[in-house]
Amino acid sequence: MTAFAGRLSDARWTAARSVGIAGIILGTIAFWLALPPLTSRTELLPIAIGIVAIAAGIWSWSRDERRIGGGAAMAGLLGILLGVAANQSSVENLDQVVVWSALLAATLRYATPLTYAAIGGLYCERAGVINVALEGMLLTGAYFGIFGAIESSSWAGKWAWVVGILFAAAAGMAMATVHAVWAIHFKVDQIISGTAINFLALGITGYLFINRYGDTGTPGDVPDYGIPDVHLHFLQDWYFIGPIFGQLNLMIWLSFVLLIGTYIFVFRTPYGLRLRSVGEHPRAADTVGISVYRVRYIAVIASGGIAAMGGAYLSLGFVHSFNENMTAGTGFIGLAALVFGKWRPFPTYAAALLFGFSSALADRLPTAYGNQWGTLFQALPYLLTLIAVAGVIGRSIGPAAAGRPYVKQ
Amino acid sequence: MSGADDNVELASSQDDVSQLEGTLGPAPSTHFASRFDGFTGIIAPVLTTILAFLVGGLVVALTGKNPIKVYHAVWNGTGLNWFFHVGSYTARIPFTTAHMWFPWDTASIAAQNLQQTLLITTPIILTGLAVAFPFRCGLFNIGGQGQYLVGTIFAVWLGTSFSGLNPFLHVLLVLLAGAVAGAFYAGIAGILKATVGAHEVISTIMLNWIAVWVGAYLFGQGGPLQGSQPAIPISNDIVEGAKLPVFWGLKLLQGLSVGIFIAIAMLVVYWIVINRTTLGYEVRAVGFNPESARYSGISVARNYFLAMAIAGGFAGLGGALDITGWQYRIGENDIHASTIGFIGLAAALLGRNTALGVGLASLLFGALINGTSGRQLDPSIFRPDLAGNLTTIIQGLVILFVGLNLGGLLIWLRKRFST
Amino acid sequence: MAEAPLLELRGITKRFPGVLANDKVNFDLRSGEVHALLGENGAGKSTLMNILYGLYTPDEGEILLRGKPIELGSTRAAIEHGIGMVHQHFMLIPVMSVAENIVLATEPRRRGVLLDYDAARKRVRELSDRYGLIVDPDARVDHITVGQQQRVEILKALFRGAEILILDEPTAVLTPQEAKELFEILRSLKAQGKSIIFISHKLNEVLEIADRVTTLRRGVVVDTIAAEGATEESLARMMVGREVLLRVDKKATHPGDPLLQVENLTVIDDRGLQAVSDLSLSVRGGEILGIAGVDANGQSELIDAIAGLRPVKAGRITVDGTDVTHSRAKDTLDAGLGHIPEDRHRRGLVLAFTLSENLALHAYRKPPMSLRGFLNLRAMLGRARRLLKEFDVRGGQPTTPAAALSGGNQQKVVLAREIDGDPKVLIAAQPTRGLDVGAIEFVHRRLVEQRDAGRAILLVSLELEEILSLSDRILVIYEGRLVGEFPPTATEEELGFAMTGGTREEAVA
Repeated sequence: MTAFAGRLSDARWTAARSVGIAGIILGTIAFWLALPPLTSRTELLPIAIGIVAIAAGIWSWSRDERRIGGGAAMAGLLGILLGVAANQSSVENLDQVVVWSALLAATLRYATPLTYAAIGGLYCERAGVINVALEGMLLTGAYFGIFGAIESSSWAGKWAWVVGILFAAAAGMAMATVHAVWAIHFKVDQIISGTAINFLALGITGYLFINRYGDTGTPGDVPDYGIPDVHLHFLQDWYFIGPIFGQLNLMIWLSFVLLIGTYIFVFRTPYGLRLRSVGEHPRAADTVGISVYRVRYIAVIASGGIAAMGGAYLSLGFVHSFNENMTAGTGFIGLAALVFGKWRPFPTYAAALLFGFSSALADRLPTAYGNQWGTLFQALPYLLTLIAVAGVIGRSIGPAAAGRPYVKQ
Repeated sequence: MSGADDNVELASSQDDVSQLEGTLGPAPSTHFASRFDGFTGIIAPVLTTILAFLVGGLVVALTGKNPIKVYHAVWNGTGLNWFFHVGSYTARIPFTTAHMWFPWDTASIAAQNLQQTLLITTPIILTGLAVAFPFRCGLFNIGGQGQYLVGTIFAVWLGTSFSGLNPFLHVLLVLLAGAVAGAFYAGIAGILKATVGAHEVISTIMLNWIAVWVGAYLFGQGGPLQGSQPAIPISNDIVEGAKLPVFWGLKLLQGLSVGIFIAIAMLVVYWIVINRTTLGYEVRAVGFNPESARYSGISVARNYFLAMAIAGGFAGLGGALDITGWQYRIGENDIHASTIGFIGLAAALLGRNTALGVGLASLLFGALINGTSGRQLDPSIFRPDLAGNLTTIIQGLVILFVGLNLGGLLIWLRKRFST
Repeated sequence: MAEAPLLELRGITKRFPGVLANDKVNFDLRSGEVHALLGENGAGKSTLMNILYGLYTPDEGEILLRGKPIELGSTRAAIEHGIGMVHQHFMLIPVMSVAENIVLATEPRRRGVLLDYDAARKRVRELSDRYGLIVDPDARVDHITVGQQQRVEILKALFRGAEILILDEPTAVLTPQEAKELFEILRSLKAQGKSIIFISHKLNEVLEIADRVTTLRRGVVVDTIAAEGATEESLARMMVGREVLLRVDKKATHPGDPLLQVENLTVIDDRGLQAVSDLSLSVRGGEILGIAGVDANGQSELIDAIAGLRPVKAGRITVDGTDVTHSRAKDTLDAGLGHIPEDRHRRGLVLAFTLSENLALHAYRKPPMSLRGFLNLRAMLGRARRLLKEFDVRGGQPTTPAAALSGGNQQKVVLAREIDGDPKVLIAAQPTRGLDVGAIEFVHRRLVEQRDAGRAILLVSLELEEILSLSDRILVIYEGRLVGEFPPTATEEELGFAMTGGTREEAVA
């Protein structure tokens, strides 16, 4: 904890920073006010608050806090635009779409595969190996997870999902091993090998799926032995928390464990230190006797297993079926979350939640506003990441040696 | 720039080894661009292809089907067998009613298959160039898909408007619009790279998906560019005058348009620009060693932007060629299903970023896609949807094996076992 | 006192493709001594020490520790045997703290799995106090000075129980003051029983700190002698094998008008700090102005600013009358500046380009090399043939990739390109780094030739000998400012003293 406090004090709480952060909060409030449950119907309110936010941002910018100032100005601008837009639409529509408890529950569900993919990617990239194959590993886990469960349902009964998850993890690790061998041993360009894995996963899962379940699709009884929800009876009647946390899938709870475990592992254990050293300065790690190759192999293979588990959640715990290319870019959103979160577990999770929220919203928008807005909203996570990468919200700089194959003399 | 850079460290250290690296051959460069320069031999791509098909055939065999039969059926579907049936026929000279002697039968089934193959090859050549050009500059443009889509969007938009415009001008306008739109779209990633150093892989991946969803929005139900049938998420057809002339086969049956010639012309343009112009010189210098280029007064940022913009221009032109050449419209499903940008990536990698290589590799992939498509493949031999996935697998294998630099591996093996 | 040596290397031979880096080298280290390993660049010193540290395996020979033969197949094995190495390029992770760097791979643990940061900090402080190496355990490595980083490196080795310390050119990155502090530390370590191998090519330092000196020349041991009684001349003769011509033949010239003028220049470096502060100098046509200074005192930023590669915060730069203060590199080069960069692999050449293409790196923009955007390959080849002959470049044709040439020939290519551009002002930054003696003489001759032809030459070098032998005037740079002007008859001591920031008044007081 002292290190966290240390980083806080490192942060130099100047007036400019505080004002800037206040600006960001104000901008968010400007929009939120127009939404249920407050649903204030004046346009003036979001405009006024938004202007204050922009002003705070400009003031902060001028005091050399450019990133936070920029963020505040943007938040203010967005708050005005969205607040006004929310005011334009009818209260009924807003009420239909913005049901917070349902939205947040859906957020968690959408965020979970992202989390698994992103955390998997975190291990890999922290070791210095770029992983653009998260999409492929997610898809691999989705197919092999449900395949394992279906095939074992006859003897495993309602525990078939355990077999499924194990199968998925194994398949993911196998895929990742290819990436590892190519990137570490053959020293091939890591983006090329990652892209190849994405194609292979798409083709192999599609091929095997059609070959086995082609005309009929996956059986309909998957929900009987899919990954179970965790029913917390004491919570279910609580006002707001109940619908959200009362029956979350097991994998979602596991994702929390994964998150905390990853933080502790990467930043609080010797192994995490060595992992990071290999990703930052592999030569230095080598000279103190750390086996760079071994650490990287383990990290890449682990990333495949973890990401695949997220895919298993998707097919076995969320939609209870499989379709060709069912991940459709989720792995890339996971990668985006990782970049957005600067390769740190908790900011990455926050990004995953944000993108999950965006997906949840995109899901509900069509009920009131028509299909096209839902579609357009799907582009939001990518746009946000693009802006993050452009440095408006601070530069995303990854582990220093990421992407460069290590050549041991 | 923090972090250890082993290879460059060697170059500037005082260790004896560094002085030797020069006499060994090309010093290891941190830019993968240096590995793909020049037509260093056809061995590697051929080996790569053979290996990919072998492994693909293995997959087919492992799932209980006969790979030889499958590949044979695919081969017939490609139309490439047309070249092997030499005889004495008459063919109609394009755009006239005159006939002349021709050694091949221009109306056979194989001919029609070949037309399809070449139709598909056309955009692959362009998305392939969209990857090859920035590669020479040290940039990895994985955004060809998005740039292609942007080209199609603008092509449809302008193609469905201005009815009554002179056909030559209309086609020119549509093609230009597609190219310029693609150039601007890729230019975003280029500017980000040039100014804040944002990694072009991440920014282009994001731009790809933004293009997909914006395109789906535009042409989906209720979208602004949706056609006149509200229940169907497809655009209107482009105006007759905006369609490219078809010179082989019948337009109604998707004959081959002159787009293929434009694509081949672009290959030539690519070669000339890279090897004979000052722009190409700068691009290559930046691709091999941005620092030295900078020290000689070359603007690295400018070249990053230009390389991306030109790449986007190629890809966008590819999109426009597809729309004006045979698609004539676009729907929400097409946008989601399109993977031409990534096929171009495989083609560029296989073709080692050279003009001739990209051309041949594009033909290979065009043939493969056509041969395994539902139109050509006999379902009793092999289901088309299985075949489609097989193509994807082979694509992935090609990309996987390309990275291995099999030609270099072979030379190394030969050296190792000859001592 | 003929005690058995602590460490012995017998008959070590190591081959790399094309060169014999170590040829039956015998080397021994006594307990508690400082043994210097001396030799020119490329003599094989680093290779030998890398073998000792487990980074390379010798092709022949054996290593004995306390009389018993040992296998050093990996750095871990070397560390276990008590051998620690401080590399020339630090092996520290910039974004991690000092403590984290020191304990890496041998971390103290709490409850078996967690890293015990408090224990790590405590152990670092203990070591720090014991050996007098003061560092802040929580500081981030990229926020501390180079001298402090070196201390961290030494602590790293000591933390792992090193009894034998190898220091590879440790003073290359230190100011003379920091070097003095380092020697104090080394003496203290010696007193505590550590044995030290000190790699260097600096004769004065070797004489100051070493007990014995072993000289390597082209992979072979020349001799091992006691430092007492040796002189710089005798050491130099061992290193090079002949009387080192420390001075180049130069005739006097009559310098003309100033062709390069720098006025009140202030430049910011990559970290946002002032690298050059209010610096003014001018170089006249027909003279060589040498800038001496320890590495990283602003020389690189000064050159970058003049060449248009780095923005100027304040001040003015004029090349042959043209104001190039805010010009981009291209325009500055056009205005008449030639620039031989300090790293020919990273900045001077595009190794994958052919010699013809490399030679055209500035000229390609204009006729006759290009016309309206199209290259004239024949003109480029013709020019290349001419220049390769004129500058006696061996090892390739105009169509050979530059990577195939040796270092000396590569530098000749860079020289040819810059000189053929007919510059009024020529900047030469470390022009002979990593070159063999023959190449060095060639470069020096050419620079003098250009000076005689009336060009203004700005020479920046870390080698005082080079500065003293070539320059007509010498300026010393320290922390971004000029702290003294000296004639070429100055002594190395005078220059060295100025390089620490001292002035003559201080010396007297």
